[in-house]
Amino acid sequence: MSSDLRPDLRQQVTLLDLVDRVLNKGVVLSGDITLSVADVDLVYVGLRVLLASVATLEEQGMPVAIGDALR
Amino acid sequence: MSAHEPIDKVLAGSGDLNRIAGELEHLQDAFPRRVNADPEKVEQGLARLVLTLVELLRQLMERQALRRMEGGTLTDEQLDQLGETFMKLNRRMDELKAEFGLEDRDLNLDLGPLGNLL
Amino acid sequence: MIHVYGIVDELDSLPPLEGLDDAPLERRRVGDLELVVSEVPREEVTQEAVLRHAEVVEALMSRSRAVLPAQFSRPFSGDEDLVSAVTAKAPELGQRLHRVRGCVELGLRVVAPLAETVPEAKSGAEYLRARLDEEHRRSQLVAQLDEPLARLSQETAGGAAGSDVFERAYLVRAEDVPAFIDAVRELEAANPELSLACTGPWPPYSFGAETAK
Repeated sequence: MSSDLRPDLRQQVTLLDLVDRVLNKGVVLSGDITLSVADVDLVYVGLRVLLASVATLEEQGMPVAIGDALR
Repeated sequence: MSAHEPIDKVLAGSGDLNRIAGELEHLQDAFPRRVNADPEKVEQGLARLVLTLVELLRQLMERQALRRMEGGTLTDEQLDQLGETFMKLNRRMDELKAEFGLEDRDLNLDLGPLGNLL
Repeated sequence: MIHVYGIVDELDSLPPLEGLDDAPLERRRVGDLELVVSEVPREEVTQEAVLRHAEVVEALMSRSRAVLPAQFSRPFSGDEDLVSAVTAKAPELGQRLHRVRGCVELGLRVVAPLAETVPEAKSGAEYLRARLDEEHRRSQLVAQLDEPLARLSQETAGGAAGSDVFERAYLVRAEDVPAFIDAVRELEAANPELSLACTGPWPPYSFGAETAK
């Protein structure tokens, strides 16, 4: 029963989810990724797209040559 | 001036909550944020980036191997070779992580609106 | 500099609270959208500031038809920056505000019991087979946990992070919350070896943008 949980643990878990939400979730209004090194931005975006395209091809049941996904 | 504590939001919980609450330490490393001029931190930052990318590729490649294994398009010899390579890579990654004091959860990249990389 | 707490829909009145650094809360209109902001002298991420931000967002939720919490990030240098950033996202924000109306966010964290490290397999093939089994077990568990809760939700967001953790946010209509909590308790009972925490109700932090579901 959750009411049996220690108050200090409840507090920590509450704080964890709160801090995580405030810092990592929420609407991002500052426009694009605000990483300080512009070159690195491009790398991140490219990799994320790569991951997504591989995942999509996998879902379609096809084994994927990573090289294909890069094209 | 200390902040008062937030209102309890736990609706349900069971098991070893210490393991869950432990994540908090990681988030609290962000407080207070300051400009990182410490050269050791800079190096660790680079190591983190590099290892994250390696980890990404490792996961991608391992998943590909598993898909091909399921699809039966790998010969036994290829399975053995790939498996051995991944085992070695895994072991090496563990060594590198230990060397730089990084844990699995450190090897992730916050891409802002795109979520996390891994 | 301008710090944003969120975008609000039909806010009655500002809550009797001060913002970061005890600055007064202000309402700011950008096109059809209304924001709640405050002036900050510098950007400073402290636990105190984060708690205050969260407090303001909660108070806004109870005083409006809907709120989209803004992420605590670099403040805006001025009105011009703020307006252009918001205008760029205005159509999506308007839609999301409508979508989250009457809903709250509930969070779930699950940690599997410490997995045995993949044993030193005798061959590469054995290693891959063990990995495959692990993958199957994992996706089965995730589906088993997510399915009953997703059924009770309008949307879900987030995804598992590490190999032994599962983390998800659910957008749930206020009236469905008791049933959701019951479903979580059922999952607890069915999976005694797992460590699990469900928290909420939160303002919809994770649902300010289009989600997969």
